[in-house]
Amino acid sequence: MKKLTISNQRLDDDLLMKKRREALDTWPTGKEVDFDEAVAYQKSLPDSKIWWKVMVKLREEGRMSVFPRAGTPILEKMIELCQGLRDSGVVLIPVTTDSYTRLGQYEKVEGILQECYRTGKALLNGYPIINQGVKKTRKLVESVDAAFSPRGAGGEIAIASGLTTYEGGMTFLTWGSYSKKMTIRELAEKSQNGQRIAGWYADRGVILCTDLHGWLPGGPFPLSVNIAAMIIEAVTMAEQGQKALYPIVHCMGNMAQDMAWIKLAPRLIREYLDKFGYRDTMITGTCPAQTPLFPVAMDMGGAFAYLCYVAMVGALSRCNAVDLRSIDEAAGVPTKDTNAVSYRAAKWIFDVVREQRTEIDIKDMATEEKVTETEVRAIMDRVLELGDGDIIAGAIRAVESGVLDSPWSPNITVRDKVLGVRDVRGACRYLEFGNLPIPEEIKDFHRRKIAERESLEGRKADYYTAVRDLWSFSKGKIVGLLPFDQ
Amino acid sequence: MKKTPTIITGTVGMDAHVIGTKVVSRALRDAGFKVVELGMQVTPEEFISAAQETNAAAILMTSLYGMAELDLKGFDEKRKEAGLGNVLLYIGGNLVIGRYDPKEIEPRFKKLGFDRVYPPGTDIQAVIETDLKPDLKARGKM
Repeated sequence: MKKLTISNQRLDDDLLMKKRREALDTWPTGKEVDFDEAVAYQKSLPDSKIWWKVMVKLREEGRMSVFPRAGTPILEKMIELCQGLRDSGVVLIPVTTDSYTRLGQYEKVEGILQECYRTGKALLNGYPIINQGVKKTRKLVESVDAAFSPRGAGGEIAIASGLTTYEGGMTFLTWGSYSKKMTIRELAEKSQNGQRIAGWYADRGVILCTDLHGWLPGGPFPLSVNIAAMIIEAVTMAEQGQKALYPIVHCMGNMAQDMAWIKLAPRLIREYLDKFGYRDTMITGTCPAQTPLFPVAMDMGGAFAYLCYVAMVGALSRCNAVDLRSIDEAAGVPTKDTNAVSYRAAKWIFDVVREQRTEIDIKDMATEEKVTETEVRAIMDRVLELGDGDIIAGAIRAVESGVLDSPWSPNITVRDKVLGVRDVRGACRYLEFGNLPIPEEIKDFHRRKIAERESLEGRKADYYTAVRDLWSFSKGKIVGLLPFDQ
Repeated sequence: MKKTPTIITGTVGMDAHVIGTKVVSRALRDAGFKVVELGMQVTPEEFISAAQETNAAAILMTSLYGMAELDLKGFDEKRKEAGLGNVLLYIGGNLVIGRYDPKEIEPRFKKLGFDRVYPPGTDIQAVIETDLKPDLKARGKM
């Protein structure tokens, strides 16, 4: 095996400062960033604009907010869009960047942005935060009373502008869900450079919150690999000095599983942070997310029901935030009006369901929690063993050997030897275990559950069962399509 | 199969939604075809050069993010120039932005040179039997 050069260690400060300036020098607006002034500006922000404080306050007060997606190129329109969200009760507002900004094509963005202002049309599919720069983006932050989070890009322009989250860490999402050729080694190296910036600000009293996504399950698939990946993300961020983070929990549609995972993810992340000595890194809440395939654009009823399902699971689990898409998700970029109806529907559920304080105690939930916990622990034990105690070295070897693996990844370096299908109640089960170190008795549990479905359907579950299951939730069914709906 | 035709697959443009093309590729392989799987974010030029190099009988593209028409601007001319006028062309997925009737957009993609156009959620195994095999036979490619 090749010698590992990356380990879970804090980056050198001189190197960090050099890399920060280099990153900002890629576009003229980078000159607007003065690091010390950025710290002072962040410190001047009211609590209602500081992401981690907003989340903690929501939790303490027993309330919740939608965490939506929103971005449009023209500043004035962006302010209007965000004010619309605020009016629908949203206090956690994203600044979703356009695709070209995410790819670093600022030159191209500049031309299109000028065209946007000339014609008044939104010709970019998001807010080009780098080209807009600090002064203009501060105007957005100061115009709407909410906390802001850059999505997809932003770097230190976002921080200097007063946005209070920072994307970084060993983001399995970037690598396993959006990249075609990046290796896990390249991810580990790149992410450490980035994440140290959040640590630099934290050292100066500015805490930027980060959401953990883990390795996104591309289709119905148990969340154990995803949660193990979130633990790796959390621990590697904490080493770089990150002080506030929270898990995004990808709801797959079976209520017992979704609610079990919402309970389990923060508990295990906390445990591993403590185990590695990062007791002062806080978990600011838990945010269930609407992740699997969305209903087709024409199915507006399905789109409403789907976002309300996730809102409901979040409300019953007493989360403080829920990551939701609008009913326009499959149709394109949402308008102010479709955002408003979508998030008012979610707020209706938050207020009506959450305030009933129903104690949910489902027997199946305890089983699901136990099963996933056993799986995550087995995976983490193997990761740490492979890295000889170093979590980054272990994660790299785990991915390379399929100890961490996921189906449906676009990345060609992923082994992709695992597969999931739903059981007779719609819960996600492993059909193919690949090289995941899952204990034999747990494997038997999955096999038994799949056998129940096979006997009901009268056919063996195979790859094409998994393909049909990709559609089930999106089409408003949970236990497979044919022959159940005949 | 008398001849084993080669089929090129991939998502066109900057689209990262890879599941569709993975499912298509696997189903083609299971049905006995030779598959050159280009994966996500494939440019029209890459489709053309892959088809030339492998003497492909068909190109099956997928797209979910609604911008396929922009990605395919000029594709028909380029593939004809490359001498690929007889290569069968299929496309499927969420092909335009907004709420639309898939039947309405079919003519737009046929104009771009596609022989068949499919809406989201199409059963690829059925397509292989009812459309692809007969189309290939009709062109003497299998």
